Amino acid sequence: MQDVSAISGNSIPADEPKLNYINNGHTLKSWLLTKDHKRIALMYLLSVSAFFLMGGIYAAFIRLELLTPASDLLETATYNKVFTQHGILMVFFFLIPAIPAILGNFLLPLMIGAKDLALPRINLLSLYIYWIGGIITLWALMKGGVDTGWTFYTPYSTTFSNSYVMAVGIGVFINGFSSILTGLNFIVSIHTMRAPGMTWFRLPLFVWAHYATSLVMILGTPVVAITILLVAIERFARIGIFDPAIGGDPILFQHLFWFYSHPAVYIMILPGMGVISEVIAGFSRKRIFGYEFVAFSSIAIAVFGFLVWGHHMFVSGQSVFAGLVFSFLTMVVAVPSAIKTFNWVATMYKGSISYDTPMLYAIGFLGLFLVGGLTGLFLGSIGLTVHLTDTYFIVAHFHYVMVGGQVIAYLAGIHYWWPKMTGRMYSEFWGKVSAMLVFVGFNLTFFPQFILGYMGMPRRYASYPEELQVLNIFSTAGASVLGIGLLMPVVYLIHSLFYGKKAADNPWMHPGLEWRTSSPPPTENFKEMPVVTWEAYDFGEESGLDIEEARRREAVTV
Amino acid sequence: MTAHGDTHEHHEPGLQHQFEDMNQQEESVSIAMWAFLAQEIMFFGGLFTAYLVFRWRFPMAFAAGSNHLDPFWGGLNTLVLIVSSLTMALTVYYAQKGNRTLQVAMIVLTMLFGSVFLGVKAIEYTDKYNHGLVPVTGWNKKVKEDTSAPHVTEQDCTQVGHGDGDDHYVNPKGEFQWKDCSLVKLAQEKNYLTADEKIGYFTNGEIDADKFRDKVRLFYFIYFVMTGLHALHMIIGLGVMLWLLWKAWIGTYGPKYYAPVEISGLYWHFVDIVWIFLFPLLYLLGRHFLH
Amino acid sequence: MSDNHAEHEEHIGIPGYIVIFLILVVGTIFTYFSSFWDLDSIFPGANTLLALAIAFTKMMFVILYFMHVRWSSKTIWLAAVASFFWLLIMFAFTMQDYFTRVSGVFSA
Repeated sequence: MQDVSAISGNSIPADEPKLNYINNGHTLKSWLLTKDHKRIALMYLLSVSAFFLMGGIYAAFIRLELLTPASDLLETATYNKVFTQHGILMVFFFLIPAIPAILGNFLLPLMIGAKDLALPRINLLSLYIYWIGGIITLWALMKGGVDTGWTFYTPYSTTFSNSYVMAVGIGVFINGFSSILTGLNFIVSIHTMRAPGMTWFRLPLFVWAHYATSLVMILGTPVVAITILLVAIERFARIGIFDPAIGGDPILFQHLFWFYSHPAVYIMILPGMGVISEVIAGFSRKRIFGYEFVAFSSIAIAVFGFLVWGHHMFVSGQSVFAGLVFSFLTMVVAVPSAIKTFNWVATMYKGSISYDTPMLYAIGFLGLFLVGGLTGLFLGSIGLTVHLTDTYFIVAHFHYVMVGGQVIAYLAGIHYWWPKMTGRMYSEFWGKVSAMLVFVGFNLTFFPQFILGYMGMPRRYASYPEELQVLNIFSTAGASVLGIGLLMPVVYLIHSLFYGKKAADNPWMHPGLEWRTSSPPPTENFKEMPVVTWEAYDFGEESGLDIEEARRREAVTV
Repeated sequence: MTAHGDTHEHHEPGLQHQFEDMNQQEESVSIAMWAFLAQEIMFFGGLFTAYLVFRWRFPMAFAAGSNHLDPFWGGLNTLVLIVSSLTMALTVYYAQKGNRTLQVAMIVLTMLFGSVFLGVKAIEYTDKYNHGLVPVTGWNKKVKEDTSAPHVTEQDCTQVGHGDGDDHYVNPKGEFQWKDCSLVKLAQEKNYLTADEKIGYFTNGEIDADKFRDKVRLFYFIYFVMTGLHALHMIIGLGVMLWLLWKAWIGTYGPKYYAPVEISGLYWHFVDIVWIFLFPLLYLLGRHFLH
Repeated sequence: MSDNHAEHEEHIGIPGYIVIFLILVVGTIFTYFSSFWDLDSIFPGANTLLALAIAFTKMMFVILYFMHVRWSSKTIWLAAVASFFWLLIMFAFTMQDYFTRVSGVFSA
């Protein structure tokens, strides 16, 4: 290599890494008005992390309050606001945008070999909409907050609650359009921006997962937007269609709300599944087992996810027939998730696994998602759910899926692509420690809640009977471990920005297109339009990987 | 490859940096617009679902409310929108042909018809305001007690003729007004009432005018939210057309580059389609009960 | 690429657009007058069915010709069909609850 540049006398290779998307323009304006998907992703990373931190602080208050049976730390009314705001910030401002808007934005064009997303200005607009929605919501929280639960159930939210329902509702409404625009951008980009040779079945599964997610975003989010708008109108005009006193229908609210909000849990998990597919295939150095099945199971989850919303309403007055139908379909939607899990495990079987930090997170995901998914079947059974509904069993279930699934996948993804995003390597040692802490802390926090829920502890109460205290203490102790585990990456990742060693273009020796450009990538992503001649997850020499280098790397890590 | 893209960038007007050529750009924006329309369909879909549920539960209240909307104005507006859709389609046609004059003329006509639609809507809303049919208390015309007019005694609500009595009512607080429940009587005689209606309109087996009024008010709530949201889309559409008018005026569009006209047209036609459904659903259904 | 554009321009031309327009006008007038007939005496809901059938037909003409879907790519077809399919999901699965509220259908 050196010889070639010496002969040609060309000094460009030496200068090449200097200009990348981060140092290409230093003014604030060059960031705020950028159309570069990578910069937008970084700004999302900062904003979403801020919301995650705030949601986490609320979570800390919830766990501290529940340390003792009496409601002593917080008044019950304050407690209502705290858990509501924890839910709203986490669901609408962290879980939904986390992977699509940060990792998806950054990686999707790189993975399909495009210069940018198809609609860069719309992409920037979605960030601004996210900020506006977030600011309105934060303003409402400062003014006094909201206490309806993140679901805004009527008629409480429309008639009885004296908190800032409308302001928060409008914040969420506006924020919804941010995710609609992101989804729209992804769908268009995946359809039209693929590089030559990048056929649909050569797409990384991360892209497939984001395609499915985008479908849900586009087709589901507007429904919750109109529903929240109706709630706001009803509060404002003091009349509306959800008020049972005048013949309105609160169950209709639940239908409309869950039409989006159940598929929304797939918005919250599908991108995570995409990350896990990448990480597991990569660190097993093996083509993913049953690529087509994993790809289509993403689409299947997106479609079937729309058919099961009624399982949130088993005890709220829908007809028994509807309950049976929704219960049955809930069992059906478990199938594609199971397909994915089996295929990930089968991918690891006889793979040459290296236990880097992302892989540790991914393996943690497998176990936690399994527990979260299977307990979902308990709750989807129309008989059993009567006992378990609105208890801590549900709380534990969705935290296993949301935190054990999406948050852990998000961390896996951040660690996996951190070298690409920033050009720096983080401390592998601390990475592994944090992965372990998160896993242990998470289980300690939420596994006792399964038992608590089964014993009958209802959710959303600030106090509980004394005999449940031991398990609650376990849970709070676990939460502190989890909190430390989650704060550690903040420290060592920021540290790596300044003191981390420079990352190679392809530090993991993986075949994806995103690893075939410099770290961090230049503004236009690729020096030349890439032409794809290899299949997805092809770890052989045909895909142009330096096998010798990969072996050397493996020898060092093992 | 990049060199290939660069040559195009210099030759094609309006080619964005992220695309390789115009074909890719056109395909992208049209898929984007359709995805956006899918989003819009679901946005209105939530309201249509609400309409469906309440019409299923209270068909007579909906028929009664619907009978107080004027199908003449509704029908006129339908025709106006269809004409504007035609002129919009022709705008795209002339943009493709590169005929700037007719293109501008068609945009102006489209905007004109769009404005007529909004004007008619305003007439209708005013009418509802004057007759106490806005579902929100205080948002109707406040009618003070008029001593000169003959005092209206409490009538049996099934005897109130439909359409009359509107001019004599007293409404100091601007509340929603509905006196006529003759349709309930009719449906009761013909045994049309649904299970929800048998509970929803009656107190102790007697027709309860207030309970029926509440159900009619639900119809008007849905009417105002749906048509209001539709009108909002029209206003946004007019804004888009204004921008399009400017771009067409300076001669941006021709056979090689007309995608913005095309996708604005898609939006305009979509708004038309929503109205194509709103017209029969809100104005016409249930009309035969009284004719 | 220029071939593509030429193909785009063909569509149905001005006479074609006028015909579609007239169909839409006739549909509007027909739906107006048909709403006064008492079709419910044939079977309950016949009026609603007719009105929606007309509206649906009008919509198809607008989508296929004014919105050029007839000449569009498969992706566009997919987007158009999928959005209505999802709307149908929302209607069907919401209404399967309301339709079966009456006592006797699996209820106590």
